[in-house]
Amino acid sequence: MKANDVFGDDLVATLPQITTIGVDIGSRQAKAALIGGGSVHTAITASGVDSQETADRLVNRLLRQAGVTRDDLGFVVGTGYGRIALSYEDVPTTIVTEISCHAMGAHALNRGTRTIIDIGGQDAKAIRVDPENGRVIEFIMNDKCAAGTGRFLERIAELLGYTLEELGERSLESDKKIDISSQCVVFAESEVISLKAKGERPQDIAAAIHLASARRVRNLVNRLGLDPEIVFCGGVSNNLGMKQALESLVGHPFTTPKLDMVYAGAVGAAVLAQRHYQAGHA
Amino acid sequence: MTNSVFSADLLPIHALIEAEQQAFIADEGGRKRAGYFCAYTPPEILNAAGLRHARLFKAGSPEIVSQGERYTQSVFCDFSKSCIGAFDKEGGDPFYHAVDKLYTFHTCASMKRAAEVIEQFVPTTLLNLPRLRNEAASRDFFRSEILHYRDDVAELVGRAVTDSEVSAQIALYNKVRRLLRDFSELRKRPNPPLTGLDFLELVRGFYYLPPATLLTAYEKLYQKLARTHDDGSRPIRLMISGSIMADGDRRLVELIEREIGARVVVEDHCTGYRPFAHTLREDGDPFAALADGYLDQAPCARMKPLDDSLDFSTGLAEEYGVDGVIYVYLKFCACYGVSKLEFLDRLTASGVPVLEISSDYSVSDIGQLKTRVEAFLEVLQGQRDDRIETNSKEHVHG
Repeated sequence: MKANDVFGDDLVATLPQITTIGVDIGSRQAKAALIGGGSVHTAITASGVDSQETADRLVNRLLRQAGVTRDDLGFVVGTGYGRIALSYEDVPTTIVTEISCHAMGAHALNRGTRTIIDIGGQDAKAIRVDPENGRVIEFIMNDKCAAGTGRFLERIAELLGYTLEELGERSLESDKKIDISSQCVVFAESEVISLKAKGERPQDIAAAIHLASARRVRNLVNRLGLDPEIVFCGGVSNNLGMKQALESLVGHPFTTPKLDMVYAGAVGAAVLAQRHYQAGHA
Repeated sequence: MTNSVFSADLLPIHALIEAEQQAFIADEGGRKRAGYFCAYTPPEILNAAGLRHARLFKAGSPEIVSQGERYTQSVFCDFSKSCIGAFDKEGGDPFYHAVDKLYTFHTCASMKRAAEVIEQFVPTTLLNLPRLRNEAASRDFFRSEILHYRDDVAELVGRAVTDSEVSAQIALYNKVRRLLRDFSELRKRPNPPLTGLDFLELVRGFYYLPPATLLTAYEKLYQKLARTHDDGSRPIRLMISGSIMADGDRRLVELIEREIGARVVVEDHCTGYRPFAHTLREDGDPFAALADGYLDQAPCARMKPLDDSLDFSTGLAEEYGVDGVIYVYLKFCACYGVSKLEFLDRLTASGVPVLEISSDYSVSDIGQLKTRVEAFLEVLQGQRDDRIETNSKEHVHG
């Protein structure tokens, strides 16, 4: 994709003419983005056991896509759960948390962003962003409870015989409201099993799960205030059922940037890599 | 603690603490050994009676937690479970097994229930602590509870504990508290000569060492630290606020100081700076002095009014010039978990960024803990860079 289309002319004008990569190793999926030559490239793969190996694979794929070599790389920023394991000898690298990267990514992709709701494989967070510069003002993140996160929704999809994509889509067909009271993954799971045994339709159960999960996320992030424009990031942002449930609870539609927001962290990392390069060559 | 997380300067003090703990377990000198849980228990009385004594706040191991969990519901905090687990005859802690008598001033509901379980392992005296700290009746009542405590201690050692002995101990402990305040005062420097981990080690010493031993060793260390040369580094300054940080629960501060390189410069919790903020009256009735002194100390969140705790917290953050506060409480903590919003809102309103962390003694959430703390420090560093930039711009244009 053309950088000007994805980021807008104003942001592109501030970037140095250099190729950078952002690598976001999540708990379930690893994402990477390359900015350079007036374009933005993205790549995604399942997170392997070895973060460095996963990152290498993504970096090589992006270099091929963009038709550039390693020597052209000016800077790499690593982020995400697997960020600690990242290092390159031949390219300047730094590590930034996914919270700062998501903020920068959502800012770069949509300048009016004030709030980010990010739901990934094993965590949910809300970030208040400074619309002036894409920096984090405040954030809230769940602890080890997995309710409402990607891993939880995967498990529920399995129970209902859906793929992860179907879980979101089919829940939109629901015409019956079921209450799921449990906020705990383990208990919600047994509640789903007993609802199935009662003969409830999987579409309705899926919708109920999304609502319960969205409620849990809303309670977590409420303290931040959730000012529009709100951008929904992370792997779960592609789940339409979850998006709709969250929008209705928050009471405000989310802004949808021009790129799949599973890449928000990686894109933010690539933008930060541009800034780091700039600072080093000022 | 197996590997030292504090500075080399503290090694002699650490060695004293280890030796004292070994002596406690080995019953050297055959003195009776008393333990207590809470910072509202005046050690002045225990020391006046010539007891060996220690605050029992070792915790942090998931095994000990699960040991204690056999006696409680899951919704007890990990600290209260650890207290039970450590006393449990099977697989507990030899230091706790060595205790002849446990004193506990009614803390929170979980700890009170924990003490009632522990009664089956060790003789325990439960004493009352009034919560309405500003009422005159609370003071009289607390004084009478402290007299019960003295009588119980006297019975344990088989001799009377005199008023003048107690008065002497008040003066001695005032000296120790003052010295710990002096140590903390050094942390107001832009480049503190001691880390947060160092201060936590000094607090361990306060709760395990006899005060006379402590004074000799600490005064020497203080002179040394006070002379430390400032190498010009200006680390990000943090305050830790919230519930108890047990002896053995160091992972948050280690993460902050050793992995990220920021500094904890003050603690608003009962195992950091807070217990040293007060000085007791040294004249008149020693028991009234103890009652007033301990009720007037920087209050735990279980005391009323909560505003006193909030005022102390925001005041401390300002006094130490912190860049941010990490408010950390144990999961299921009935005091700090429930009053968290008041703390977060008040600190935020005073202009200090706050990170909230709910924690326990498991190890599975270290990744998320690291992400949150690192991201918080990225925010604080960004704000500091902005301030520096603004100042230099003003300087250029001014």
